[in-house]
Amino acid sequence: MVASLPPKESNLFKLIVKSYETKQYKKGLKAADAILKRFPDHGETLSMKGLTLNCMDRKSEAYELVRQGLKNDLKSHVCWHVFGLLYRADREYREAIKCYRNALKIDPDNIEILRDLSLLQAQMRDLTGFVETRQKLLTLKPNHRMNWIGFTVAHHLNSDPSKAVEILEAYEGTLEDDNPPENERCEHGEMLLYKISLLEECGFLERALEELHKKESNIIDKVSYKEQEVSLLVKLGRLEEGESLYRALLSMNPDNYRYYEGLQKCVGLYSENGHFSPDEIDRLDSLYRTLGQQYKRSSAVKRIPLDFLQGDKFREAAGSYIRPLLTKGVPSLFSDLSSLYNHPGKADILEQLILELEHSIKTPGQYPGRVEKEPPSTLLWTLFLLAQHYDKRGQYDLALSKIDEAIEHTPTVIDLYSVKSRILKHAGDSTAAAAFADEARCMDLADRYVNSECVKRMLQADQVALAEQTAALFTKEGDQHTNLHDMQCMWYELASGESFLRQGDLGWALKKFLAVEKHYADITEDQFDFHSYCLRKMTLRTYVEMLKFQDRLHSHIYFHKAAAGAIRCYINVYDSPPKSTAEEDNDMSKLLPSQKKKLRQKQRKAEARAKKEAEEKNEELGATGVSKSGKRNVKPVDPDPHGEKLVQVEDPLLEATKYLKLLQKSSPDSLETHLLSFEIYTRKQKILLAFQAVKQLLRLDAEHPDTHRCLLKFFHKVGSINALVTDSEKLIFSVLEAERPTISQLHDKSLFEANGSFLEKHKDSLTHRAAFAEILYILDSNRKSEAVKFIEGSTNNLVPRNGALGPIKEWKLKDCITVHKLLGTVLVEPDAAARWKVRCAEYFPYSTYFEGNLSSASPNSVFNKLRKNSENESPNHSHGQNVDSVTSNRNIAAFKDLTV
Amino acid sequence: MVCIRKATVDDLLAMQACNLFCLPENYQMKYYLYHILSWPHLLYVAEDYNGRIVGYVLAKMEEETTECHGHITSLAVLRTHRKLGIATKLMTAAQNAMEQVFGAEYVSLHVRKSNRAAFNLYTETLGYKIHDVEAKYYADGEDAYDMRKQLKGKQIHQHHGGGHNHHHHHAGGCCSGEAKADKTETKGNAKVA
Repeated sequence: MVASLPPKESNLFKLIVKSYETKQYKKGLKAADAILKRFPDHGETLSMKGLTLNCMDRKSEAYELVRQGLKNDLKSHVCWHVFGLLYRADREYREAIKCYRNALKIDPDNIEILRDLSLLQAQMRDLTGFVETRQKLLTLKPNHRMNWIGFTVAHHLNSDPSKAVEILEAYEGTLEDDNPPENERCEHGEMLLYKISLLEECGFLERALEELHKKESNIIDKVSYKEQEVSLLVKLGRLEEGESLYRALLSMNPDNYRYYEGLQKCVGLYSENGHFSPDEIDRLDSLYRTLGQQYKRSSAVKRIPLDFLQGDKFREAAGSYIRPLLTKGVPSLFSDLSSLYNHPGKADILEQLILELEHSIKTPGQYPGRVEKEPPSTLLWTLFLLAQHYDKRGQYDLALSKIDEAIEHTPTVIDLYSVKSRILKHAGDSTAAAAFADEARCMDLADRYVNSECVKRMLQADQVALAEQTAALFTKEGDQHTNLHDMQCMWYELASGESFLRQGDLGWALKKFLAVEKHYADITEDQFDFHSYCLRKMTLRTYVEMLKFQDRLHSHIYFHKAAAGAIRCYINVYDSPPKSTAEEDNDMSKLLPSQKKKLRQKQRKAEARAKKEAEEKNEELGATGVSKSGKRNVKPVDPDPHGEKLVQVEDPLLEATKYLKLLQKSSPDSLETHLLSFEIYTRKQKILLAFQAVKQLLRLDAEHPDTHRCLLKFFHKVGSINALVTDSEKLIFSVLEAERPTISQLHDKSLFEANGSFLEKHKDSLTHRAAFAEILYILDSNRKSEAVKFIEGSTNNLVPRNGALGPIKEWKLKDCITVHKLLGTVLVEPDAAARWKVRCAEYFPYSTYFEGNLSSASPNSVFNKLRKNSENESPNHSHGQNVDSVTSNRNIAAFKDLTV
Repeated sequence: MVCIRKATVDDLLAMQACNLFCLPENYQMKYYLYHILSWPHLLYVAEDYNGRIVGYVLAKMEEETTECHGHITSLAVLRTHRKLGIATKLMTAAQNAMEQVFGAEYVSLHVRKSNRAAFNLYTETLGYKIHDVEAKYYADGEDAYDMRKQLKGKQIHQHHGGGHNHHHHHAGGCCSGEAKADKTETKGNAKVA
């Protein structure tokens, strides 16, 4: 203990502590060494020295000293606390909690330790522990506001909102009156709103409303006040008051959809699925007409009726909605209308409507029934809208001809090239799509949006190097790689991970996917500082919302994609492991001894060089990066920049399982989660877990072709095991025997019969037919030619619909590619695959995969011919991997030629 | 066409994605968390009809200075969603909240000298004036205009008589001289002994 040191050393010890708190580590270190000179075994000094070193990034020394210190003075709360801090710094929170608990056994009322412990408990959601610690803190220091608030929040998080209310009211009782000083009004108001939300959560709605009204003058956030009030009124069934409140909110913000929705609920005109009776539609129509009069500038009030109006009324409303937006030239008009394509019949009405507008603007020059001429740009935006309409319907030839017409009309509008790029992507030509996105980018080099879009298209076209260089134009210091990573640019990392995976570069792919995973770990970590910050700031409603957000962080789509990508990589690594050293030796054995020696030497030299370079880089950065406090604030150089070590992992399926578990927990309703689970567990021979995956798939979508595949593959595989050896095997099979009759798809059917009845249900669907054929082959490899014939006998029917122009075929490009892969790699029928390719090239003339004659994969495509021409005209103009072209701004005349 | 509403914590990832897609100045998630957990009233998003975040405003209160004022940290609208007045609506919403909740005297922001479109929006539509020029404000060396717009300030708060008798110890209010509890820099180390 400090007391055991003589006065001089005791003062020095205080200096170490102070230096640590003020981050003057060098000073602290000096003081520690001075004590240790006379008392080399002084536990607390050793610990504090360790803690100080840890802050200077000397981690291994730090742990050694701290352990030593603790060993020398097990009864010191300081030593335990320091050990806890060390673990905390390394994000080892469970261990840190244990250390703090030990420290508290020795010094139970130590405020600092209690506070630190409470933060860890909040972070780890050790909620009962959190309540306990917070209670202790309040008991020790009841005159701190923060301790009351902390205890309140602890009970709230621990699912006891009514207890939380009690504590908050007890705290309010300690306040002498209800009028906080000016500088605390905002916080006080936040606290009141928090309390009311707690009352609401408890279901004490009347009390909450009463409290709200009573405290009105103290709640300065009027928007929140009204939103809270209306929420309570609606829950209490006081709909008339709710209605007038929603109207008041709308007059404050007539662009908030939620308020319109609320208003509809209050007047009894709300439907979850958007279906209304004709009478309801009339009432809604008149409601929105009145609102439209009131809020002339609101766009929401004009758009919402398009959802519920039908037939002629829809046509009329859509017309008057679209016309001014075309005149104004609003580029997002199509995306705004796109959800209407899911409403039966509306797409056809829209098509007729837009075609009429186009016709009328082209020939007389104005909208139908109007006198005023439209400006030339109206035609441009009409063509732009039409192109996107046809794109949505899969009529890519029409879409391209409309967008080309628009480009011809006005070649200087960037959006046209972006849309052309998107259409080409949908039509199956990623290369041409990237080229046009690059055209768009070059038209405004200062706009990061067009740059990002171009980078995205380049990655979709697997032009990773070019994409990186293009993205680098917008990242500081030129080192875009680190910069995009530091800024947590996840879309980029995901898109490049997916591209690497497509190209079979698993190391790089894993690197990218795991980088995204790391961002999520960092975001989880980010909450730490806010556990204390928000108690002071009083932003408690948002704080609790943030904790909930963190608890479901892994269900976010980017995380899902990254985890799924990483799992795919690991499965691929498992299926075709990278060459081990032994195999490489084997390869080398074919070489002459002298050649071998040379090769080895070369390898060793290269390794040494790489190591030295990395070290030098580390040192160089370290030298400049040491700050006054002595802390080296440099990130170490990545020892595995290309992900080679990631691929060399010993048990790839074990790694995959880690991410799978996160997906199972956070995305249990995604088909993909269970498909991956099935893939992993069949490889691991974990029969019951694979069966679980099948059951989940059946729960989510029993009719999905992949569900069918997994189900039948599973029982086929299980059925083919004939010798049951161990007891556990017998047990597993008895479980499956019991389960099988509960699966309606199988019942008493044989697998062939089950396959057949699946087909019966989905005879006209290509993807289902393909699944049937694949299973047929798996069940009986002698029936392969039958399976192939069956796939080839599928017909690409026209989509049934009325009134629209031009035929639309049913098959999707993506599905046709899957079938091609099935024919080529699963059924291994190269001739059939080739025939399929020729056939699909007809359906998808823009597809590079099928080498359609209009795609950039075909040497005679219009795209390639024009590309050659323009290259002849301007030597700098290139779409290849020529990096120079990235930075050069091209003139408009040059790419005018490119418009196909 | 587009819904303007207060941002929630669940919007932050989409706001960050929107920022990274269109602007050269980017921030880590912790900075967004810092904003929403300090001034939840000042963050607004624009959500399109399909529920996608197509614009946002990220704003804060400056707390160290004597004059209580707001600051626009970042404003973005996707290029595809121009011409809808989204930026104006987002800015107006944030400014109103600064005024109403915090009694801000004025609101400030920085804009690249070369960004004419944004400059015009601020001066012509929103009534900002150039207050100063900050040389080499941006990482690429470009200067920034330091712009300001006067707001109505404190007077909107009504006082209710009575003394200020809170006897609890704690730091000051939302717009007072509270020690800057910071975003990404770490605060001092906690006490150990």
